[in-house]
Amino acid sequence: MQAASVDIRKVNKFYGPFHALKDIDLAIQPGKVTCLIGPSGSGKSTLLRCINFLEEYDSGEIRIDGEMIGYDAPGRRMPGRKLRGMRRAIGMVFQQFNLWPHMTARENVAEGLIRVRGMSRAEAGERAAEALEKVGLGDKMANHPSRLSGGQQQRVAIARAIAMEPRVMLFDEPTSALDPELVGEVLNVMKALATEGMTMVVVTHEMGFAAHVADQVAFMEKGELVGVDSPARILHEPEDARIQAFLRTYHERNSF
Amino acid sequence: MDFSIFLQYGPALLKGFGITVLCWLAGTVFGMTLGLVVALIQRYGPRWLGWIIQAYIEIIRGTPFLVQLFVLYYGGPLVGLRLDALPAGILGLTVYGSPYFAEIFRSGFRAVPHGQIEAARAIGMAELAIVRRILLPLGLVSSLPALVNFSIILTKETVILSIITVPELMYQVGRMSAETFRYLETNLVLALFFWLLVEAISRVGRRLEARITKHLVEERT
Amino acid sequence: MFSIPVFLDSFYPLFLAARYTLLISVLGIALGLVIGTLICAARLSPYGPLRRFAAVWVSFLRGVPLLVQLLVFFYTLPVIGIDVPAIVAAVVTVGICASAYISEIWRGAIAALPRGQTEAAIAIGMGPRDVWTRVILPQAFTMSLPALINELILLVKASSLVSVVGIMEVTRASQAQAATTFRPLEVYIAAACIYLLINLCLAALGRYLEHRTAV
Repeated sequence: MQAASVDIRKVNKFYGPFHALKDIDLAIQPGKVTCLIGPSGSGKSTLLRCINFLEEYDSGEIRIDGEMIGYDAPGRRMPGRKLRGMRRAIGMVFQQFNLWPHMTARENVAEGLIRVRGMSRAEAGERAAEALEKVGLGDKMANHPSRLSGGQQQRVAIARAIAMEPRVMLFDEPTSALDPELVGEVLNVMKALATEGMTMVVVTHEMGFAAHVADQVAFMEKGELVGVDSPARILHEPEDARIQAFLRTYHERNSF
Repeated sequence: MDFSIFLQYGPALLKGFGITVLCWLAGTVFGMTLGLVVALIQRYGPRWLGWIIQAYIEIIRGTPFLVQLFVLYYGGPLVGLRLDALPAGILGLTVYGSPYFAEIFRSGFRAVPHGQIEAARAIGMAELAIVRRILLPLGLVSSLPALVNFSIILTKETVILSIITVPELMYQVGRMSAETFRYLETNLVLALFFWLLVEAISRVGRRLEARITKHLVEERT
Repeated sequence: MFSIPVFLDSFYPLFLAARYTLLISVLGIALGLVIGTLICAARLSPYGPLRRFAAVWVSFLRGVPLLVQLLVFFYTLPVIGIDVPAIVAAVVTVGICASAYISEIWRGAIAALPRGQTEAAIAIGMGPRDVWTRVILPQAFTMSLPALINELILLVKASSLVSVVGIMEVTRASQAQAATTFRPLEVYIAAACIYLLINLCLAALGRYLEHRTAV
């Protein structure tokens, strides 16, 4: 499966009078990892959710491998079937895991394969098992989410996404809801995915992950994309005063 | 007090009980189905249909069941709706119960975290599949206690059907009282009977809940 | 077909009868409040038999259809030598039935109060009486106001059942009206409108109170 590119051009988004995304331009190369950082309410999650059109953008365009998502032409919504087809290629992992509590880990992963990819129950089950092995949960397949730790639940959620063989993966603060000691196992799975050459867009507060895994880091504030550059340039020698201020508070809060 | 009359009227009472159970089961099943349809329309249907349904809910919930039955059974023939007492009673129970069931389903659906529906959308699941595989199972489970509770309330409402001459238990007891003049004994026994019935159903309902929600409760270790 | 003049004409007698519907519901809830409070106190009392009595009271009255309760009451009173007008028997039955629900409303409201409230009161040295009258009950009362209004709405609807013992409230009056005009459809729909009107007003009052007491 070929990794895809994501091109975001002049994207704007309003909630009533509130301008949530302001003329966002961002190019993401196939196989590269992009981290979106910034204070809460800066619009980074909104931008991420626009990429698979869970959130509608009002103007501009977002293209997955050159194909615009959400609209057939500016202002004309694409039919639901076509949108669903595009979403198959975009995996998403949520802050709150959002596993379906009435299904086991394996059923959670197999569900999309059966309903969306049209696989047989047996084949989907096999694929689900492989995906769960890959995130290190081969022994927890029969557990319901209520019997898994937060870190395990998030790994199942990642397995659910990668089992669909996406060409882009979106992560919306995947470790923010986890107890500190469970963050590592999830980040490790994400790192492994990055080394396989997956295109990844990650909204995160884990600066360590951004520094070591990301190919580029984008900083957002108040709906604006303030800067995009290599992790070293953004995290260690930022020029913009807003980025400096953000990193200062970050370091103050994380030192003791 | 003399309770021996109950032996003499045994068959009639048994038949009445059968009809009570029939009315209750039919009213619950049809009312629940109608309520589910109403709740789904409220969630997915066009705005104007939602308003009509809201008006329907307010009207049914704002008027006594007995008056609804009178409109249906005595008023119906004037607009060509001629029903026997029993079908009229079942239809009445269905209509009466549906808005309550609809409200129960509606809040059950609201209790399904939006993220779980988004997760299904994000992997490209079709809206219908999302309703069938995610919204319904989770919504039904969170509606279950309220569903059980309301169907218990409906067992009690069945006695009102006796007023429009549905030959259910209360009706048979009424006839028996009129023939034997034993009003006190008969009604006391009827009261006791309903008390036990309602307690029994509540107990079964709680068991059922505990079993169905087993996987959904966070395990504390 | 549906006749508008007949429909409109049936309102006047039904409005007169609505006084009885309101009377029974309001007196019923008043009586229910008094008995319900006592029952709730009994349920929360440290004295076991009292608690069990209250639990049986609530379970029995909530398990038995109101129509059956009405008839039991109606036929019991003469047997034990009490001869009261039908309307009194009706109010008492409705009130007793309501007491079971009201005591549960109280209990729910008291249980919903954060434990910290009581602890804070004890911590500053309040005695049990002050804790109840100054801290718990005032909060429980404001919290349960919407539920009590809702109970009143239920009583307005339930009061239609006392028509079976011959009291000329809205439902009974509409039956009489239907029998003389032979137009049951119009008359009963008019009766439904009156109930709806009363209940929509009460629901609006409930929303107002809920809004006002929301903190």
